[in-house]
Amino acid sequence: MTASHPPQHTSADDPAATTAGPQPVPTGPSFKQTERPHPLTPFVRGWLVFVAIAIGWGREIITNAGDDQFDSGGLTLILPIFGVVVVMAAVTGFFSWYFTRFVIDDEELRIETGAIFKKSTKIPFERLQSVDIIQPLAARIFGLAELRLDAGNSTTKLRYLTRSRASRFRDYLLTRAHGQKASIRDLDQQAAASVLTDLGVSDQPLVQVSPQRLILSFLLSSEWLIPATITIIIVAVTAAAGAIALALGGLIPLIIGMLTLIWRRVIGMFNFTLAESPRGLRITRGLTNLTSQSVPINRIQGVKTSQPLLWRLQGWYRVDVDILGYTQGDGDGDESNASSVLLPVATLDEVELAIGRVLPGFDLDDIELHPSPRRARWVRWFDFWTLRYGWDDRTLITEQGWFTHARDVVPHAKTQSVRIEQGPLQRSLRLADVHIHTPRGPVNAVAHQLDERTARELALSQLDRARAARAAERQGRAVDAVRTDDHQGEVELLAAFGTDRDQLLGSGGESEVFAVDHDRVLRLYRSRHEAPHRTAAQLRALYNSWSGVDIGLELPLILEMGERNGRFFTVDRRLSGRNFSGWLQHADMAQRRPALISFLDATERLQELPGPVPGFARLIGEGAPQQFSTLVDLLSSMLRGPLQSSQTQLERDLPAVAEVWNRLHSELAQRSVAPAIVHGDVCPPNAYLSQGPQGPVVTGIGDFSPHTMHADPLLDIAGALIFLELEPYADAAADAAWLEAVAVERHGREIVHWIDVYRRFYGFYFSNAYAFDPNLYSWCLRQLSR
Amino acid sequence: MEELFAPPVYEWKRLSPKFRSMRQLTSIVVPPVLLTIPAVIVGVASGRWWISGLIWAAAAVIAIVRLAFVGRSWRSWGYVEREDDLYITHGVMFRSLIAVPYGRMQLVEVESGPLERAFGLATVTLKTASPETGARIPGLSPEEATRLRDRLTELGEAHASGL
Repeated sequence: MTASHPPQHTSADDPAATTAGPQPVPTGPSFKQTERPHPLTPFVRGWLVFVAIAIGWGREIITNAGDDQFDSGGLTLILPIFGVVVVMAAVTGFFSWYFTRFVIDDEELRIETGAIFKKSTKIPFERLQSVDIIQPLAARIFGLAELRLDAGNSTTKLRYLTRSRASRFRDYLLTRAHGQKASIRDLDQQAAASVLTDLGVSDQPLVQVSPQRLILSFLLSSEWLIPATITIIIVAVTAAAGAIALALGGLIPLIIGMLTLIWRRVIGMFNFTLAESPRGLRITRGLTNLTSQSVPINRIQGVKTSQPLLWRLQGWYRVDVDILGYTQGDGDGDESNASSVLLPVATLDEVELAIGRVLPGFDLDDIELHPSPRRARWVRWFDFWTLRYGWDDRTLITEQGWFTHARDVVPHAKTQSVRIEQGPLQRSLRLADVHIHTPRGPVNAVAHQLDERTARELALSQLDRARAARAAERQGRAVDAVRTDDHQGEVELLAAFGTDRDQLLGSGGESEVFAVDHDRVLRLYRSRHEAPHRTAAQLRALYNSWSGVDIGLELPLILEMGERNGRFFTVDRRLSGRNFSGWLQHADMAQRRPALISFLDATERLQELPGPVPGFARLIGEGAPQQFSTLVDLLSSMLRGPLQSSQTQLERDLPAVAEVWNRLHSELAQRSVAPAIVHGDVCPPNAYLSQGPQGPVVTGIGDFSPHTMHADPLLDIAGALIFLELEPYADAAADAAWLEAVAVERHGREIVHWIDVYRRFYGFYFSNAYAFDPNLYSWCLRQLSR
Repeated sequence: MEELFAPPVYEWKRLSPKFRSMRQLTSIVVPPVLLTIPAVIVGVASGRWWISGLIWAAAAVIAIVRLAFVGRSWRSWGYVEREDDLYITHGVMFRSLIAVPYGRMQLVEVESGPLERAFGLATVTLKTASPETGARIPGLSPEEATRLRDRLTELGEAHASGL
């Protein structure tokens, strides 16, 4: 609490030091307690410098030993310099520790460094991409750990903290990074993680690599066997010739290379554990230096599974991933860097398990792989039979290699660009390569030696698939954002009605509908819905007012409403038949057209429903029924809400939007019509179809909503025609045009103009879809620019 | 054959003829200049100037061969701005066609070295998150280069889609 806190007093082992934050007594507002990292930090850092220099020097001396006789006289000169450097490092370490202060509390994450040039880094919790714990050997001896905070492009290091604090901070920061509210105090009670593997109690190991397997797989790997064999041959040959000293100059770099490899592949990967923690996947590894890194799944750009020749004996694979922003840590031998290894060695089952976690929802087994044509053997005589490629609507897979077989998986949404390449030999064989570019990393997807025409088709269609996948992903994210807190109390609620998620019938922006039994459905309002009570009560009153009216159409009815586990629900009458939209996808034209006529009939029949008020009015929503004197007033009031969120976007995408807006108003002002019930969203997903004597006909319309009003009945007729264009089956646009012709025949030519006007109305009305449904939004833009 | 690298529907835009002139000049000048140094060294060191003569002859052959290919190489370049992506093709022996979606572009660079400036040319380079993309259009007139840069940046913003 006090601003003038003596630094040494703040023992880093005392969790209460940070948690006694500024909340309890709101005295001085701006003085927040910051603290220093652990006091042993300078020693550890000094030690690290010492080791680094020792290794560097040692390497130099050993490398040169082959050529020159080692000069022991130089040592007397070197040692004092060495000592000075280490002392200087320790002094710098002390100052850098002394001037480093940090605060991690419920409000912020801030690190201040620098003696002369002060630097304060404040990282917003949401920007944190990953939080890793790294323990070099020296730090490990003292029970200290470094916290590495990765936010987009920059990595901030906080060293050193006690290990238990570091892992508590890590858990807390990751919770906050996921956008969840948490207080750092809540995490203090959690049990500490194991010293050896840094696995917390709540962590569930998915794959653990045993030391035996790691070592055996290393000995069998090609990257080890090749230099090892070369070394043995050189030694054997030169020893036979009695001139082993001559080969030393060549052997030493080779041996250093091999030692580095052991360091990286065995020591660095020792005790490798891939675990599922409450905050995502986590990897811990390392014998001397313990690294604990989280796997940021949303930044994974591709997955590579590879298998060196001899691993086939054991059925082992290695899995690497491209993670955006991770340069390959292997480059400069800094094995404590976050690396791109997902599994150093694993069986097929484990590989599938891990890939299932990093690419959730991808069905890789069902992707049919095509071999390259036989004539590829003239170019790739050494591995032409291993070349394969295939794709589905979400991913592309390529396979190649005999000596080391590799399989690259790239989700379409991560494709950066594509390239077709063809050399002279390939040209004479009519073959070409297709490269799928992904961000820097081990994944390198190339479909080798395809037939020219196939290559071109693959490359050009890949960009379309990538675009579609990105659009779907954006939409998914928006939907996810809507859903994040939606599952609260849901399971219990569904169970209370004897239903579950598998019984989901449909979902919209406001609610989700689950089947309860033959006659009833459970409508669960989304928890972000502002006023479910009001909406449901108004709908119930409306439905009740229609219960005595028979218009030859089934309408919904609310049987029960209530709140449970913090979620608002209603139990509605289940409309008989099947969803019209689902049926349309598979019906042929001969069946579709009569059904569409019945859909138009049903829409027209809606206007026979009695309205609760005489004039133009909004029927659902705040202050409803809210009456308006003219149609144009009502409709512009309807548009106000959506436009509030979409106006800027529309102005950007459609320069003439103001003109379209004014024209719509002047045209609507000319419309004179008697008001009737308007559903506002008559579209196939809201219609139900049953088998009639002459074939399937639309027998029910459901889902009245805040779109419902008392207005021009032509709004619904226009809606029924134009929303049909949005249906995802091939002939939807043709059917919509055809149905419009039918409507024109019934109501006269002048409705063509009004359908056009209402296209623009709906274009504005649904334009807030830019945030969650790019498809619908681009449809809106098309309506507005007609 | 040609259709493998043709853009769908559109016509390729070609490079400025000045690019061909520049390449013709470099083809003639560069090999003799580069090979003169080893030729002189060999001549002076060994005294066998006929070896130097051979090296110069080789330089001349290389220059002529390169000169013969300049026209084809220049014609092989092409680019086209489509609705959603940019296509670039080039290469005579080793041909390639690259397609970069506007939404993936992170950076558009215009460069012009001293030689290029002398010829009134500029190079446009597109960068994505992938280092392999390597989309480069050399030999553009400065106006075209600036227009392309502005256009691509604008399209990039319009199509921007995170990673």
